[in-house]
Amino acid sequence: MLQLIADGLVVGSTVSLGAIGLTLTYSLLRFANFGHGELLTTGAYAALAVVTAITAWGVDAPPIGPFSFGWPLLVALPVAAGATALVALAIDALLFARLRARGSAIVLIIASFGAALALRNLLLFVFGPLPEYYSREIQIAVALVPRGVMGGMRVTPDQMVVLGLALAAMVALHVFLTRTVLGKAMRATAMNPDLARITGIDTAAVIRATWILGAALAALAGVFAGLTGQVRTTLGFELLLPMFAAAILGGVGSIHGAALGGLVVGLAESLLTPVLGAEYRAASAFLAIIAILLVRPAGLFGRVAR
Amino acid sequence: MTAALAVHDLVAGYEPGLPIVRGAGFAVEAGEILAVLGPNGAGKSTLGKAVAGIVPVASGSVRLAGREIVGDPAHRMARLGLGFVPQTDNVFAELPVEDNLDLAAAVAGAPRARRIAEMFALFPDLGRQRRLDAGRLSGGQRQMLAVARALVAAPRVLILDEPSAGLSPKLAQLVFDKLAEIARAGVAIVLVEQNVRAALALAGRAIVLVEGRVRLSGAAAALAADPRLGDAFVGRGEAA
Repeated sequence: MLQLIADGLVVGSTVSLGAIGLTLTYSLLRFANFGHGELLTTGAYAALAVVTAITAWGVDAPPIGPFSFGWPLLVALPVAAGATALVALAIDALLFARLRARGSAIVLIIASFGAALALRNLLLFVFGPLPEYYSREIQIAVALVPRGVMGGMRVTPDQMVVLGLALAAMVALHVFLTRTVLGKAMRATAMNPDLARITGIDTAAVIRATWILGAALAALAGVFAGLTGQVRTTLGFELLLPMFAAAILGGVGSIHGAALGGLVVGLAESLLTPVLGAEYRAASAFLAIIAILLVRPAGLFGRVAR
Repeated sequence: MTAALAVHDLVAGYEPGLPIVRGAGFAVEAGEILAVLGPNGAGKSTLGKAVAGIVPVASGSVRLAGREIVGDPAHRMARLGLGFVPQTDNVFAELPVEDNLDLAAAVAGAPRARRIAEMFALFPDLGRQRRLDAGRLSGGQRQMLAVARALVAAPRVLILDEPSAGLSPKLAQLVFDKLAEIARAGVAIVLVEQNVRAALALAGRAIVLVEGRVRLSGAAAALAADPRLGDAFVGRGEAA
């Protein structure tokens, strides 16, 4: 039981980071970006490229302490976040911004499907179809709770660092959105774009900042998913439905809701898999959504549209 | 002397080729209150929004302290000293009162703490509710916050779109009293208003819009006594 909770929280924290980016772009641009999963994949591969390049130079980078990875991955993390942000800004400038000026939300949604396909296949073309790893070092799970207590709990150091960094990123985001001028400007623009403009907020700059933030969080989620699993071209696509589930569960547009929604989705998947079977793993998240939306139709933190 | 705001022959509307404002103009000096009156659908609100940059301008000129601002994005106009208070949705409902003001002061580059303190001195009710989300304020308090949000950036010109709409006569009078105080401090005020009597009592001058054009203009006291004012509202006396 405890083991399932630990596994669920690790997966859920990654889903949370992705769902936050999804809900951020939704609340500012009013469209569901089906290409968000590919931003996770882009981040994961950007980090892989950095790690591979550093190792190819013959630099000696042994694993840090109990972890499977060395310092190159720590360098790769901000580089991947930056590279993914650039990709997101480029897609927005080339595609979404043009459609936003004259198209409806449905046009943007379909365009995001197209962008996702193009990006996924570009990554497939560049990196090939075989799964990759940041490290092939063997990890030894640490027993946090002995087996006698509720089945016990064993967690690898990598999983612990993923959970810790994901939670730290969420806390940092909360502080950013509630304490800084740019963070408040983002929330204000999401609430009322016209009022934001006449208040003096450069909403085009806020939209760019939102892409940068959402993409950076997506890159983080992608690297974490790659670190606790494999780096493969379908990594983000496979997390897309859980991320949407988390965003809807939390109440679309709510950052806190998306963060909590991700953890609930992760836990639901993990706890329901032994009951329903592994083949229904993805479906279990949706059972959780249905159950919660029946009780709270606007999601955990959502507001009913007036 | 250069007018704080001078609008000349402005044509504006939501759809290209369908102007709502059809060649309107006015000027307002620092410390002056100009009322923009007219029947429903005359284009009063559209005129205010077009000047503030949120309704497209087809032609004409808007000069803020002598500087042409037509074509500037709305956020730049705000930073140049043009404050606009929309009639509805005029506060950030999910931000606390203080954050509404802080954000507006910060993006305008105004001294934040000092300006917010000044707003709380002008509107003591807001100071008492500073931590409350703006969406939970009463109608009158929300209107005060909307005015304070525009005013905290220390604008030269403040345009208000029907600030008394939906308020009780007592609260509306309170808002108008505050506007008089703001004008005395040197801010030029353009007051788009349905409440003709109250607006003419407050303003120094007024214009009356009919079908997007200025039908009457002059000193508020003279207009209040002018029989053509009533005609403009009921559609009489139109040029053939």
